[in-house]
Amino acid sequence: MNKPIQHCLLCERELNQSFGWEELLRKTLPQTICPRCEQRFHRVEQQQEEGVVSLYHYNEAMKDFLHRYKFLHDIVLAHVFNRILHEQLKNEKRLVIPIPMHLENLKTRTFAHIDELLKAASIPFAHHLIKLSNEQQALKTREQRLQTPQLFEVVNVTEIKGGNLLLVDDIYTTGTTLNHAKRALLQAGAKTVKGFTLIHG
Amino acid sequence: MSTTTISIIKKHYRLFRPISTSKSTASSSSQKHTRYYGFIPEPAIKNFFTGRIWSRMNTPYPQSKIETYIKRGYFDITPAVITEPKLKCRRCLNEQRPKFISFHCAKCQKTCHYCRHCITMGRMCSCDELIMWKKEQPRSRMQKSQVDFTWTGKLTVHQQKAADELLTSLKQNRNHLIHAVCGAGKTEILFAPIYASLKAGKRVCVATPRTDVVLELYPRFQQVFQQITIHALYGGAQNDTQFAQLILATTHQLYRFENAFDVMIVDEADAFPYTYDEALQRAVMKARKAKAPIAFVTATPSTKLLIQQRNEKWGYSFIARRFHGQLLPVPRYQALWNYEKVFYKEKIPQKLKNWVEQRLQNQQPFLIFFPTIELMEQATPLFQHIEPTIESVHSEDPDRKEKVMQLRNEERKGLLTTTILERGITIKNVQVAVVGADNPVFTSSALIQISGRVGRNMHYPSGDIVFFHHGITMEMDQARKKILEMNYYE
Repeated sequence: MNKPIQHCLLCERELNQSFGWEELLRKTLPQTICPRCEQRFHRVEQQQEEGVVSLYHYNEAMKDFLHRYKFLHDIVLAHVFNRILHEQLKNEKRLVIPIPMHLENLKTRTFAHIDELLKAASIPFAHHLIKLSNEQQALKTREQRLQTPQLFEVVNVTEIKGGNLLLVDDIYTTGTTLNHAKRALLQAGAKTVKGFTLIHG
Repeated sequence: MSTTTISIIKKHYRLFRPISTSKSTASSSSQKHTRYYGFIPEPAIKNFFTGRIWSRMNTPYPQSKIETYIKRGYFDITPAVITEPKLKCRRCLNEQRPKFISFHCAKCQKTCHYCRHCITMGRMCSCDELIMWKKEQPRSRMQKSQVDFTWTGKLTVHQQKAADELLTSLKQNRNHLIHAVCGAGKTEILFAPIYASLKAGKRVCVATPRTDVVLELYPRFQQVFQQITIHALYGGAQNDTQFAQLILATTHQLYRFENAFDVMIVDEADAFPYTYDEALQRAVMKARKAKAPIAFVTATPSTKLLIQQRNEKWGYSFIARRFHGQLLPVPRYQALWNYEKVFYKEKIPQKLKNWVEQRLQNQQPFLIFFPTIELMEQATPLFQHIEPTIESVHSEDPDRKEKVMQLRNEERKGLLTTTILERGITIKNVQVAVVGADNPVFTSSALIQISGRVGRNMHYPSGDIVFFHHGITMEMDQARKKILEMNYYE
């Protein structure tokens, strides 16, 4: 981030930020969107998948956000969820592993979107996975997804052996991506692997 | 084919070359033939790119084709964001530092900058490139005579005078300002001067700040100029690949043009965001050819524009009468103390309620303007309680067009709106109220435009326009004063 954010990242309305002792002393992350925009995202009240925590439902507002962030490549939007991600993951004892991007896709997108989300929330993470194919799950049908061969390969096996891990992805749709990663990590000797996603689709 | 013709072709077009004698010993039998040697640019590509500034990697054509043209030198290439001496977006000419985002780019492995100002047209960062067609216009004489002018309407004396004055200015390559009240028939004034420019083989652009206006103008222009290609460009419009001699565009779309137009017409020159946004003004300057004249058309010119007109000696036309010759409806004031509080108590202020009921009783369609979306959303269910067909529209509303249509067709009794509907819309016999006219979003020009919605129809030349307020502001007084001035004119 180059400068403090003064306008809502999503609708450009001016943010009326309060700046008090709390901000000064506790170094909280900056507010990036206005309450109006925040309202449009809906929190998940009850977790629907086992071993996976999701924060938001997939709705029009979320669709718009993903479009702008992932497809228009507006990297600064990684900061939209900085506070909530920080709140959720700051006391995380497990090792945080973001789902990686294929190198080719990374080049076209110019940034790794999950890494950026975590960086914006100032959550430390480590990459222990490599994505093998560059096909996107979003373009496939349910059957095709279920038949996909292993998507990931584990690197630095020694570091994850016997460890408790938390996989982070942007959206949970059928769970294919998380399951593949989970299987790969368990086979490599991880003790437990749980999932964490921003959105439940 | 005589040798002289061949030599002329060789000289001018370099398309054919007789196989040279030194090489041709092996194939002496084919000596008489000529072989294709040069490269003819496809008309479609030429037409599309002339005057445009476009992303290298994201054209409507196959990438390999574009690369061939680049290799052959048909395009100028420039980085999308200039980093030295200071960050500047090559597309929208934005220079404001907060609008640029810097990040570590995985593609070029360096720090890249991109401009957020024009990101909706596709992100362009400093390692991306823009291409511009190098060669001159593909205009041929053939096209000139093809313009067909099929407008049968008649101009009023005032309109005719303004049209003549504009035509003179355009001929002299001089800027021009048309200052005409709401409902004076500004679009009709443009027809004849545009026709003259098109006939002279000039490329014309009518730019306006709002998509709604482009959509409204497009069918009207299509009807008037039936023979030529007209493109309507706005966010979400399809890319046509033909060369259009007349382009209707939102001012945002001008970012994609450079050095393209011989005549530039800026409709509603004062409208938000054009006045506020420096980048849009620069886009207008960038899209026109050097020294091409600009005509500004507006009902509420800013002081800055008027001063500029005087100092730079532009042409100037002024029309104080509507096309039907009737006086402008003058707004009246009505106090509506603490309206915001009342709305948040889930009530409609009594005076406003009376006004709405009066309209419903008289079966008059009405518009109620609100200063903020929040207040409007708070009020909508309350009004729907009185009359269920009442709806609200704002800038982010995808069904805006339909709702306005329904009001026009009398399927709806009334609409609540933000300033988004302040201009460009015409509804027969509409009555207007402004709630919170004291709010700073209602500048004098916004209030004049809003008042200008009333009484545009020849058969209903008057109507009610009320400013409901919590205290009278200077802007309100100024708007009223200007309207009265217009009515006293002549």
